[in-house]
Amino acid sequence: MSANKIMIIDDEKIVGDMAKLSLEQEGYVVETFLSAEPALERLKEEKFDVVVTDLKMKGIDGMEVLRTVKRLYPKTKVIMITAFANLDSAIEALRGDVHDFFPKPVRIKELKVSIQRALNGVQ
Amino acid sequence: MKVENKIILSNVFNIVLILLVGFFAMQNLNLMLTKLRFVEIADDLNASFLEMRLSEKNYFLYHDESALLDIKEKIDSTVKSIDLAGQDISRAIGQTNLDLLKSHLKEYSEMVDGIRLTSRRDVSIEATFRTRGKNLREFSNAITRLERQGVNNIIARSKNVLFYSFWAVMATAIVVSHFISQRILRSLREIQKLAQSISQGNFNRIERLSSADEFGSVIEAINSMSEELRNREEELIQSKKLASLGILTAGVAHELTNPLNNISMIAQNYQEFYDVLSERNRLELMKKIEGETVRIEEIVKNLLDFSRPKAAKLEKREINATVLKALELMQNTLDISNVGVRKELGQDLPPLYIDDHQIEQVLVNLITNAVHAMDHGGILKIATRLGGDGQTVKVDVLDTGKGIPPEFLTHIFDPFFSTKGVGGTGLGLSVSYGIIKNHGGTIRVESTLGAGTTFTIELPIYDSNKNKRNK
Repeated sequence: MSANKIMIIDDEKIVGDMAKLSLEQEGYVVETFLSAEPALERLKEEKFDVVVTDLKMKGIDGMEVLRTVKRLYPKTKVIMITAFANLDSAIEALRGDVHDFFPKPVRIKELKVSIQRALNGVQ
Repeated sequence: MKVENKIILSNVFNIVLILLVGFFAMQNLNLMLTKLRFVEIADDLNASFLEMRLSEKNYFLYHDESALLDIKEKIDSTVKSIDLAGQDISRAIGQTNLDLLKSHLKEYSEMVDGIRLTSRRDVSIEATFRTRGKNLREFSNAITRLERQGVNNIIARSKNVLFYSFWAVMATAIVVSHFISQRILRSLREIQKLAQSISQGNFNRIERLSSADEFGSVIEAINSMSEELRNREEELIQSKKLASLGILTAGVAHELTNPLNNISMIAQNYQEFYDVLSERNRLELMKKIEGETVRIEEIVKNLLDFSRPKAAKLEKREINATVLKALELMQNTLDISNVGVRKELGQDLPPLYIDDHQIEQVLVNLITNAVHAMDHGGILKIATRLGGDGQTVKVDVLDTGKGIPPEFLTHIFDPFFSTKGVGGTGLGLSVSYGIIKNHGGTIRVESTLGAGTTFTIELPIYDSNKNKRNK
């Protein structure tokens, strides 16, 4: 069985870099993007198992990414992270069929657990 | 004096005038009635005197003895009626004339008595007798004529007085009403000016010299209204400040969360993979942490600039020197970003009264934004020129960048509003706005998507009188 593929979209470069560093140690194949546009282009080419995306980005935002991913690959899980840690954005994200929601600062261990559960099909 | 009082005063004046004229006309009518009554009595007397003269003729021509008796009876009845109407006659012709009439009558009566006693009928007595009778009649006629003339005079005089007093009342009414309406219009114009200045946001009290009339009270009312408006405006500004404090807090939280998250994630990995990481990797991670702390430091610094704007140290300065200094500071950035500079600095511009460090900071902010808007290089144009009315100097900062979407234009001076994503704190323009406002100037923006953006700063020129007073 080939390795699970994870996509990370965040306009903060360090977020992608650090998540990739940690997740690759777990044996995942990780690709990072600084904005949604090239990420969605990439998604058209290939299916990813989990997409971790920032909610608030210039251009296409996290909610738009969620909708596009669900349209292309209904089984792919989406995990949302955001610096806007307020209740409204969390509720909006969870209502939109999102797998999990992380306010920044992100605990990488928790993120890894969440990705593992997503891959196992556990909410 | 109140306008109401003025109107009352002018009315009182006219009423007094009308009363006086009425009183005068009444007097004249009374006098006329007296004179007419006399003329009536005089007509009776004249008739009696005529009969006396007839009897006189009968006595001398036809030797009619009873004629003397007739004359005597007539004289008695005439004396009686003169005594009865004595007061009226005296009032009409005066006591002197009355006495004269009486004495003429007495002389005539004595003559009759004398003739009756002696029964003489010679020529000399006849002549004297007839002369006295004639005198009596002529005197009476003369007085009657005079009194008729008097009545005519009174009527003419009354007519004149009524005519002139009518025009006097009319003239007073016209002049007074014209004066009062002019006065009202003038005051209304002043009030209109006042209301206009208030609607333009000038809430200063208007002092006025003569304020004892109704317009004084109106202006007083407008003054208290404008004071109330100013208080409300201050409250509004205060609440707006509170609202922007809310935006500020949310902005600070968001701005700080990203670098904190970065530091946190680096630190987590650093601990987790300490053994796996090479020394070079560890140093790289620490360097990244340092970079993120610099980012936080920058945000805090901008925040302090924003929340506590340093008091401007205003000095007499040339704007072109400040522009050149800002360009010098930005030269490296401009070169790296492949941005060319075009300067159009106005010559012989009047000096400004500015804190040149702060204005320099504003220009650096605008130039930085311009460079960021021109990802693929471009032209930055800086122009200085005299403002339209000669009381200001304008500085234009133009770029040939991507432009700002119209829906963002109204927000670009708001704190923490940024179109740059990660690159900006959203405080630069908001700080710049505060600085220019503190200088009594304005900052405006115009932008066309895909063509570029123009920021225009307008600053008041140095005014030796005003600026010294402010100092």
